[in-house]
Amino acid sequence: MAVSYQTREALHVKTPKLTRLQQEARIGLLFLSPWLIGFILFKALPILAAFVFALTDFQMRTPEATTFVGLKNYIRFFGDVDAGASLFASLSYFLITVPLEMIVALVLAAILTSERLKNKGMLRTLIFMTSIIPSTSIFFIFLGSLEYADRLIFTPLNLPPINGFGLLIPFMALWSIGPGFLIMYSAMESISKEIYEAARVDGAGPLARFIYITLPMISPAIFFTLVINLTGAFGGAVLLDRGYILSFSLSPMEGYINDMMFSQANLGYASALAWVTFAVMMTITVILFRSARRWVYFPEEESHEV
Amino acid sequence: MKFSRNRSGGSDASTLTLRLWDFTGTAMLNLFMFLFFIAYLSPLPFMVIASLTPSNQFLDANAPILPSERVTFNYEGKDLIVYEIPTEKGIKHWALYKPSRQSSEFIDPTNPEAGPIQWKGSWRTLKAVYHFKPTLNNYKEFFAVTKLPLLLKNTMLIATISEIGVLLSSIAVAYGFSRFRIPGVRYIFFLLIATIMIPSNITLVPTYFLFSGHMLNWIGTWLPLIVPHFFGSAILIFLLRQNFKSIPRDLDEAAMLDGAGPLRILISVILPQSVPVVTTVALLHFFYIWNETRFASLYLGVAPNLQPISFGIQRSQSFFFTPEALMVGALVVMIVPVIVLFISQRFFMQDMIVTQIEK
Repeated sequence: MAVSYQTREALHVKTPKLTRLQQEARIGLLFLSPWLIGFILFKALPILAAFVFALTDFQMRTPEATTFVGLKNYIRFFGDVDAGASLFASLSYFLITVPLEMIVALVLAAILTSERLKNKGMLRTLIFMTSIIPSTSIFFIFLGSLEYADRLIFTPLNLPPINGFGLLIPFMALWSIGPGFLIMYSAMESISKEIYEAARVDGAGPLARFIYITLPMISPAIFFTLVINLTGAFGGAVLLDRGYILSFSLSPMEGYINDMMFSQANLGYASALAWVTFAVMMTITVILFRSARRWVYFPEEESHEV
Repeated sequence: MKFSRNRSGGSDASTLTLRLWDFTGTAMLNLFMFLFFIAYLSPLPFMVIASLTPSNQFLDANAPILPSERVTFNYEGKDLIVYEIPTEKGIKHWALYKPSRQSSEFIDPTNPEAGPIQWKGSWRTLKAVYHFKPTLNNYKEFFAVTKLPLLLKNTMLIATISEIGVLLSSIAVAYGFSRFRIPGVRYIFFLLIATIMIPSNITLVPTYFLFSGHMLNWIGTWLPLIVPHFFGSAILIFLLRQNFKSIPRDLDEAAMLDGAGPLRILISVILPQSVPVVTTVALLHFFYIWNETRFASLYLGVAPNLQPISFGIQRSQSFFFTPEALMVGALVVMIVPVIVLFISQRFFMQDMIVTQIEK
């Protein structure tokens, strides 16, 4: 509010500069306070507690019986073949789904920006719709449609029966592209038409225009989509939440942690496993952000007024 | 379009070729997208078909795809199943009267007075005759077992209360982030982004402990599902803040000259210009609440009368449903968010646009 301070000066309001800034900061903090309080209560303290729990054999029913075990839980992870396999399976799962989601969303976004296409508004909503279908439904929709796929396609063509869970992964990925699609589509729409026109005059074909103009121009959107897909895949907050399938987890690592938590009541170890997953995720995120400097085009650096 | 410039100049013949080209391209593109969408959304019509299918139909591998019923013929007070029987005079539709391994007796429905006809062969190899007949039994079964009005009422109450809380707090916080010079606000904002990325598994146990009998004793109430939203949601704050920042400050300043305080500026300057993004955020939160099952299972597992719809139906799914009744449940849970999306698409789609990019 640089100008407000000037205007006040213009009005000859006599308040010392320091107080004015302080007052602005104070009002600002007042507006931030709901989140700050919530952050301390529901994020910072639980995170701190989780950090401590991971060093104990936490007993939920009888907290008094909890004993401090040091780094034992983390050491146990390194000897736990199941946990390692789950983590590896989760990582390979993301290696399949995240690129699949990104590419399909990108291609659909590119097609939908075409002016030749009819009913674009409807198509956009339909693409988005599949991403809001609750997890409660989606599992049964999938299993039900497998039955029909079997009868209509696989049996008549004498193909071997379908491996349901093998197909579930790409199916879920294809039905989760909504937010990424929308972000990349909006970014493509906001590219000015003159750039394309100039390139076309210079003799660039559709493919060249897509590769040399569209992709670099929307690279921030691609990056943002990549980050939210990654965050979602590792159990962070997502733009569109379809909820949880209680009896079943798509990410093996998450399933393993839940098993430790709910079935085995091994809360300390479960916390340690969650931290290990988080560490892996943070490593990938940091690598991504580092690499972003090379391939993401930022039109202008956001100026932080502090 | 691509060829529009060439169209005006050039000879008639080449214009015609280009137009044909143009038309073919457009037609191909639309056809391709049409086929793509048929494949992409095909599970949905199948779900509706399955929900109308009698529950024993899929036990028979030869049954048709559409909901159907076996054709029966009433003979001497008994319903006999009609089969397709290959005879010398072509395939006949006869009702099975006396089944036996080697040869069975059949009744011809068109001529029952003639009495049983002998047919040699195993009747088990025969195909039953079906006729198209959708059933509502799955719906009846589902609605008889599920307390749908109660579940719906619970979800709507939770959604309304937490929606009010999350909107009030998130808007206020986003306003604080977008308009005030606060020392170190960069770091606070970085914290906010960081909380988005923290997996829920990490905070799950301590949060549960906080709400459990050891501390707050909120288990079996709606409080754990509602109260945290009154402190804002990081991802929604992020979306709102990006949008507020894109609103020019000139209007703020004009209002300030007129003596408006910060709250007045928020209400009468910022919010009127942010209707699409506020709608988007409100809808995102509604979808979240509607789909939410995890916290409901943790905190409301012990209170069947307080459960929201997604969890209530998911829980009953595991107990006592045939696959076809499960389809009804799936349909019922998804129909509301889908309708809400289609009603609101005009607002919803727009302003994700400004909200993206740069962290």
